Amino acid sequence: MQRPGQRQLVEERETMIRFNNVHKWFKDLHVLNGVSLQVQQGEVVVVCGPSGSGKSTLIRTVNQLESINEGEIWVDGKNVADPKTDLNALRAEVGFVFQHFNLYPHLSVLDNITLSPMKVKGMDRAAADKLAVTLLERVGLAHKKDAFPAMLSGGQQQRVAIARGLAMEPRVMLFDEPTSALDPEMIGEVLKVMKDLAESGMTMMVVTHEMGFAREVADRVVFVDHGQIIEEAHPEHFFTNPQHDRAKQFLRQLLTPMN
Amino acid sequence: MNYNWDWNVFFKSTGIGSEIYLDWFVSGLGWTIAVALVAWIVALGVGSVLGVMRTLPNKLLSGVATAYVELFRNVPLLVQLFIWYFMVPDYLPESAQVWFKQELNPATSAYISVVVCLALFTAARVCEQVRTGIQALPKGQSAAALAVGFTLPQMYRHVLLPQAFRIIIPPLTSEFLNIFKNSSVASLIGLMELLAQTKQTAEFTANMFEAFTLATLIYFVLNMSLMTFMSWVEKKVRIPGMMGGAK
Ligand SMILES: Nc1ncnc2c1ncn2[C@@H]1O[C@H](COP(=O)(O)OP(=O)(O)OP(=O)(O)O)[C@@H](O)[C@H]1O
Ligand SMILES: [Mg+2]
Repeated sequence: MQRPGQRQLVEERETMIRFNNVHKWFKDLHVLNGVSLQVQQGEVVVVCGPSGSGKSTLIRTVNQLESINEGEIWVDGKNVADPKTDLNALRAEVGFVFQHFNLYPHLSVLDNITLSPMKVKGMDRAAADKLAVTLLERVGLAHKKDAFPAMLSGGQQQRVAIARGLAMEPRVMLFDEPTSALDPEMIGEVLKVMKDLAESGMTMMVVTHEMGFAREVADRVVFVDHGQIIEEAHPEHFFTNPQHDRAKQFLRQLLTPMN
Repeated sequence: MNYNWDWNVFFKSTGIGSEIYLDWFVSGLGWTIAVALVAWIVALGVGSVLGVMRTLPNKLLSGVATAYVELFRNVPLLVQLFIWYFMVPDYLPESAQVWFKQELNPATSAYISVVVCLALFTAARVCEQVRTGIQALPKGQSAAALAVGFTLPQMYRHVLLPQAFRIIIPPLTSEFLNIFKNSSVASLIGLMELLAQTKQTAEFTANMFEAFTLATLIYFVLNMSLMTFMSWVEKKVRIPGMMGGAK
């Protein structure tokens, strides 16, 4: 028996993100070619694929940092491409973590985190500070609240960036290669924070090539090539028994980058 | 050359009341500062708005700002001054014309013209600096601001402009100095600012070299003070931990 009770629970959960046959072009370049994908509430989906395959574009369409040309994307029951959708409100409940952190360099760590709750949600300074300190404790950086981004290591900056995303109390967190700009010794501290977040039940879509993270944390791996999802599988299946030649080739290259 | 330097000239009476020539310089400096400072504040405001407009996705707004810059940067300053002083008043509504040409004292109407002229001329230059500063920021900054749900105005106010202005303090400083130098055009429409008072002193006393030496010295000290002030500002707003920044 395969724990039928739990299975059903997963199916009954709300769909947080739904791509319906999404297309996007950059001029002549067909970057997203008929993408359909669903992410359930509480699910962690890892997106991987070769460089230039459209992973960043894909994840950036979720909060409309990139627009789409065809198809639909539903996030938390709202059609993001509908001009009537309040994009600012939508973005406020979707956290985004960038490869290069993109902290605000002119603000202290604390202010980086409190700025959006205060300005977007109208939270008062005291409540925002309290929230920020709680989040900084969660990512292990409470002692750095008065530091400025340029004084922090890459790993610390990325953890602050995660805290900044969480400060809006988002329903979904998106990560675009959150560890690929980091020195190897700092990758672990960021992945640890992400793993804790996943365990707390956060819905997450993560572009990453960290296979250890995918195996341990992801519910599903999605393999993208040339703007198409060509394989979607449980991580264990994907890594041990990929179906498509391009996925096999990609995994081979990931394991032996020198070849 | 046999020139008799006489530095006492500045303490001689002008023949008007108890006034000495030095008083003319002090009053000239006063006008220079009044012109340049007010024009600068307006230029900074108008230029910043235009600079932001040039970086907006809206084609109409950025087009308007671009046209403004092209117009005001390419017409010589003196021509602009004559337009503001001699031409524009003729196109004002009747009552405004009477007020500008007859009711205002001539110094005030010259002052208004030169402030408007310098402010709008310098705004075009400030606009370009602000635009450059915004465009120099990493793309990730606007993406990060949008991703948390900021509106466009919030993004500029809280994320882009505070960084852009820090970057452009050095070129803004030189525009700030330029507006003081450019304020000397006011002498051509009869406003008795520093240069006009210098010329007048030279004519009245025949001590031309002394007069211009003093004027040079005043402009120099003025420039040095402005530069010192601006580098104080730059230090004050420097981001901790950034290159060249003290902790
Ligand atoms: N703003 C843009 N304008 C034009 N082309 C773009 C733009 N952004 C991305 N592209 C192109 O679209 C394709 C997909 O880019 P994308 O960044 O989504 O790939 P990726 O899978 O994230 O790659 P990487 O692993 O290198 O980050 C690439 O060929 C890229 O050059
Ligand atoms: Mg990418």
